[in-house]
Amino acid sequence: MPLVKLAVNDRPVEVDAPGHWTLIQLLRDGLGLLGTKEGCGEGSCGACTVLVDGRLTRACLALAVRADGARVTTIEGVGTDAGLHPIQEAFVRGGGIQCGFCTPGLIMTVKALLEEYPRPTDHEIREFLSGNFCRCAGYTLILSAVRDAAGLPTEKR
Amino acid sequence: MILRPFEYVESKTMDDAVAALEAAGEDARVIAGGTALVPLMKHSILRPSLLVSIARVRGLAEITAEGAGGLRIGGIASHWTVSHAALVRERSPLLAYACGRVASPTIRSMGTLGGNLCYGESASDPSPALLALRATVRLHGPAGARTVPLTDFFTGFYETALRGAEVLTDIDVPAMPAGARWRYLKWTPRAQEDKALVGLAAMLVLDGRRCRVARLGLGGVAAWPVALTGAEQALEGQELDEATITRAADVAAGEVVPVDDLQGSAEYRRDMLRVWLRRVVSGLAEGGASSCPS
Repeated sequence: MPLVKLAVNDRPVEVDAPGHWTLIQLLRDGLGLLGTKEGCGEGSCGACTVLVDGRLTRACLALAVRADGARVTTIEGVGTDAGLHPIQEAFVRGGGIQCGFCTPGLIMTVKALLEEYPRPTDHEIREFLSGNFCRCAGYTLILSAVRDAAGLPTEKR
Repeated sequence: MILRPFEYVESKTMDDAVAALEAAGEDARVIAGGTALVPLMKHSILRPSLLVSIARVRGLAEITAEGAGGLRIGGIASHWTVSHAALVRERSPLLAYACGRVASPTIRSMGTLGGNLCYGESASDPSPALLALRATVRLHGPAGARTVPLTDFFTGFYETALRGAEVLTDIDVPAMPAGARWRYLKWTPRAQEDKALVGLAAMLVLDGRRCRVARLGLGGVAAWPVALTGAEQALEGQELDEATITRAADVAAGEVVPVDDLQGSAEYRRDMLRVWLRRVVSGLAEGGASSCPS
């Protein structure tokens, strides 16, 4: 069984991961990090989105062995025990959450969005979120929460 | 959803990858980004016993300038990288734009340009652009390297000219002619991250209203990506008036064999091709600069 060595949320870890595991299995079953959700399992819904070396990644499509040597950030690495991350705060403040299942993937996607475009246009926000499905269909408040997180007026421009 | 067990080899060089593929025979698949392969394996459509990774082959993601305006793009450059690279935006904006229309940002950052081509997916976004640009692909196999024009690369429904144990290593993109106007139109009847029902890439060189060069690549309509050579000939040398453009659209609708499925009937696909070809060509004939619709 391959021993995968990686850094998860800045903590070095070693996981015995079967060769056919995907990254989400390594995170959930190998490390017990249950914040990353598996929705469709085939790369469509975005619930399992994490950052691998800073790049947006679908943990259900990435093989665990490929994470060897990588730096992975999951929802558990966003914010601290002392307080939520500003993106999370904006989602709470604006009600950008309904059932919450898609939220970890959304937060990771928004984190990557704001690193690329600190003051995104509505088009850029929609483009980034186009791969994250919210089956409660709470998109309006999610968009507004992203604008809030970016320090933009929450009214639609 | 979980995967069936398989063996996994991380190749250091392309020769390693080819040797591993050759030793394993039919039962092995190449993996780079995994965005096409992994879902097919999860659905047990493909059941390889060996995955040969080329993700860590050195230099295989590089993008380099070739000659005056051409490009060589390494097979495992991601759609994200290709669509953002200054060199691609400058030399081949049509390709940069089309790669920026693939699925969603996360899939673009994982999926690779070479991988996209190797699945022969009809509704690929880069394929019509690369067909319009008359790109060629370089394949590396047990007998060495060979070059195949993209127009000969797609051979059937999810079929390509790749032979067993061959790996696509590079995509060569010729220079766009000076003053070329271009557009990639992705028509998705539902959400924008859907696959294209009509993906039409057009590159025109005009002399006033007269069309000197017309290059048209099409995805989503036929069972594999095709160059619309009949429609190109109907445009070249002609004044781009309404009659010429309508005739070219009719030629295009006649030269493809549309897929007929739940996304759209063959008749609907043919009609939409006619509509969008007319709009794209007349838009390019009228609009001055290159257009980049959002």
